[in-house]
Amino acid sequence: MLEVLKFTAEDRARIVEAFIGEYASGKSEIAINRAVEIKRKGRTVTIVDLDTVEPFYTLRPLKNRLQELGLNVISYSKSDTFGLGETGAMLNPQAKWALMNEGDIILDVGYGVYGAQTLNLVEGAYESPYLRIIAVVNYTRPMTNSLSRIKEYIKELGRVDAIVANTHLGDDTTPDLIRKGNKVIIKAAIELGLPVDYMAVDKKFFEIEDFSDLGVKVKFIERYMPAAMW
Amino acid sequence: MALPATPKSWYLPTKPHKFCPGCGHGIVLKALGEAIDELEIQDKIVFGCDIGCSLLSWNFFACDSTQTHHGRTTPVMVGIKRARPELIAVGYMGDGGGYSIGSQHLLNAAVRNEKITVILVNNTNYGMTGGQMAPTTLPGQKTETTPYGRDPEITGYPTKGPEFVAALTSDTAYVARGTVSKYKQLKRYIKNALRNQMEGNGFSFVEVLSTCPTNWRTNAQQTWSFLEDEMEKYFPVGEFKNPFGKGEK
Amino acid sequence: MQKVVENTKKAFLTGNEAAAWAALAAGAEIMFGYPITPQNEIMHYWTRLAPKYGRNFLQTEDEISAGFTVCGAVQAGKKAFTATAGPGNTLMQEPFSMAEAMRLPLVAIIQQRGGPSSGTVIYSQQEVTLTTFGGNGEGHRIVYSTSSHQEIYDYIIKAFNTAWKYRFPTFVLGDGYQAKMREPLEMYDPEERGIELVKTFPLVGLEGKIGEEREPQHLCNIYSMEEELYEVVMKFAAEYEAISPEVVEYEEKECEDAEILILAHGVVSRAADDAVKALRAQGIKAGYFRPITLRPFPGKQLREAIAKSGAKKMLIAESAYGQFDRLVKQEIYGETIQINNLFMPGVGIIDTDIISKVKSIID
Repeated sequence: MLEVLKFTAEDRARIVEAFIGEYASGKSEIAINRAVEIKRKGRTVTIVDLDTVEPFYTLRPLKNRLQELGLNVISYSKSDTFGLGETGAMLNPQAKWALMNEGDIILDVGYGVYGAQTLNLVEGAYESPYLRIIAVVNYTRPMTNSLSRIKEYIKELGRVDAIVANTHLGDDTTPDLIRKGNKVIIKAAIELGLPVDYMAVDKKFFEIEDFSDLGVKVKFIERYMPAAMW
Repeated sequence: MALPATPKSWYLPTKPHKFCPGCGHGIVLKALGEAIDELEIQDKIVFGCDIGCSLLSWNFFACDSTQTHHGRTTPVMVGIKRARPELIAVGYMGDGGGYSIGSQHLLNAAVRNEKITVILVNNTNYGMTGGQMAPTTLPGQKTETTPYGRDPEITGYPTKGPEFVAALTSDTAYVARGTVSKYKQLKRYIKNALRNQMEGNGFSFVEVLSTCPTNWRTNAQQTWSFLEDEMEKYFPVGEFKNPFGKGEK
Repeated sequence: MQKVVENTKKAFLTGNEAAAWAALAAGAEIMFGYPITPQNEIMHYWTRLAPKYGRNFLQTEDEISAGFTVCGAVQAGKKAFTATAGPGNTLMQEPFSMAEAMRLPLVAIIQQRGGPSSGTVIYSQQEVTLTTFGGNGEGHRIVYSTSSHQEIYDYIIKAFNTAWKYRFPTFVLGDGYQAKMREPLEMYDPEERGIELVKTFPLVGLEGKIGEEREPQHLCNIYSMEEELYEVVMKFAAEYEAISPEVVEYEEKECEDAEILILAHGVVSRAADDAVKALRAQGIKAGYFRPITLRPFPGKQLREAIAKSGAKKMLIAESAYGQFDRLVKQEIYGETIQINNLFMPGVGIIDTDIISKVKSIID
């Protein structure tokens, strides 16, 4: 499924991508899949949990598994959380200096009213010429379930460079739903003048369903997050 | 003999009231009753009372009234006012309820400039539970829990409520300390505190220096003397914040 | 009031968000809250959404205040609610007691975290005793224990109706897993589903001129004499018992011929349900019984399930050290069924935990 892709000249540039968006929009899932994808091209990849609202929920339960996939993971691990049960030190110092790591950086930015402003917490992020801020949108999320709401929401986020359409309903996802939701997201992107990098679709639909009629690139993704319980 | 006039907003079936002879509560509640009458707000008032002697006011007025827990009258009044801003919420409590067990509520209601009126009666002790030390007990004053007199080295100095409320709240708040020994002034303060809420300005707070001969074990002359010579000396009477004009001290 | 959900649609949500949307859909007018994990997103979403629908919010100075401001707002006749967890639930027992004493239609959402004390911020079912029988009262409360996001949505809407219909404080008991988990649910407008929203009414601040058109209201929760209090509590007890048959809810599967009954509530009942299916597939006759209301408890229905199945054994599974177990035992006092336990305080229980426990019991 996620075959090793060809190594092109443009892939040589550093990749710094920050995935932002609505709570439970699929940011972590998309970020993990993106990190794994570029890792399989033989690159060095660091994935950073930048969730300051729920610092111990998102990537923590998956840390070992992601490390086994060869990723450098910056997130709290179980042993770090002792005594920090509430929200003690929310910003991991390693996350603040994440861009000092060699290779590509994938930032999984948590939700919150600050949107892309959270990237101020990462030293040098806004100064990096490579930074791309990508908003993940799931049409089944109530705050982004119509054309006007998606546009309103993306505008609230601050700087956004691209969109990933990620319409799904967990186990209840159907191809019709994906098609319906992503069409609205693509329309919103066009009206906002933003590119849709791709649409993300559960790999269980691979070879079953063709979404090329929507006119955007399709990436079939693995679902890692259900193993995280949240 | 002609009976003294009772405020229209008093609830007559519960009179005579149940406060001890010589207690200041009756004077405070008379001032409040006359203020309610003069402002014609009897039907808009929701009166909330605390635990302690202030509890005995739970059915004192011919106004909608609700009784809460010790220290919790402030948040109940906040809830009523936030839900129905057209009502006039008056919380009535003692020094224990306001300055000790419920101090976090008083402090934060003042900070948020909640549009409620709080009337707090300071009689320097916990009356209903039998005369224990209150936050307002004066240095050297004997109570059941300071049998050798309050020692500030051990229990600190008395809480100065209006001073701390005034320091925390907004300039549209009304903050005063009155005394039952100056009735006309007290009624004016209470009226100002109600008007300030009616006009939607902000938090309104009146501490009232009051008497507790039962627990002080004082006769009439000693009672008055303790109020005027001891308490009023330690707790200055006056307006600390007055959006209607210059505060008097 | 502006419609919150125009067309019924499936949405992908966390439980906390589902709670905020449900309160909006139920017509809740004001929330009072204080931050505590794992319920924070109920406040986050309420504060994002409320102004768009003309609703209000106040972040209070602590949980005591959050509970008492709700008590005030419901006395003033508005649908008000709060949400909390763990130590916050402990602090709120004081206002919850007042709500019990004054029959205030208070609604609280509890997302259980680990205990005792600060415990963990993550998950448990250790707030069962506190939520059902906390405070210095008799447990005259209604407690719905949910197991999915759909139920969080459904039962929060129901909780407001129950509270205002019967005037007993009403709780929706979730947990940290349900709070943070993501799963699809159907969001709908209750009235379009034929669910009538019970009208609210003020207890203070009534219409009409006092002394001419009406008497003043004097509400209290303290009494001078033992006998006065006795009469009040006995009256409440009788009313509570009278409404209980209408309020009780439960779920039962495969009990007809079961040799062992598996009892669980809340999110653990999902594991119990899966375990019963798996055990049945392996030829083990297991049955499933889940109280949805922990107060009042479906004791009669449980006794019937025991009787009709003829089961000789029972397994009670919970993420606590016997809190649910005690509720069950007091309700089925006198039954001779053997009771076994799977107590896992503060940690999740999955189907295989239950399956292996069942096998160890029946062997």
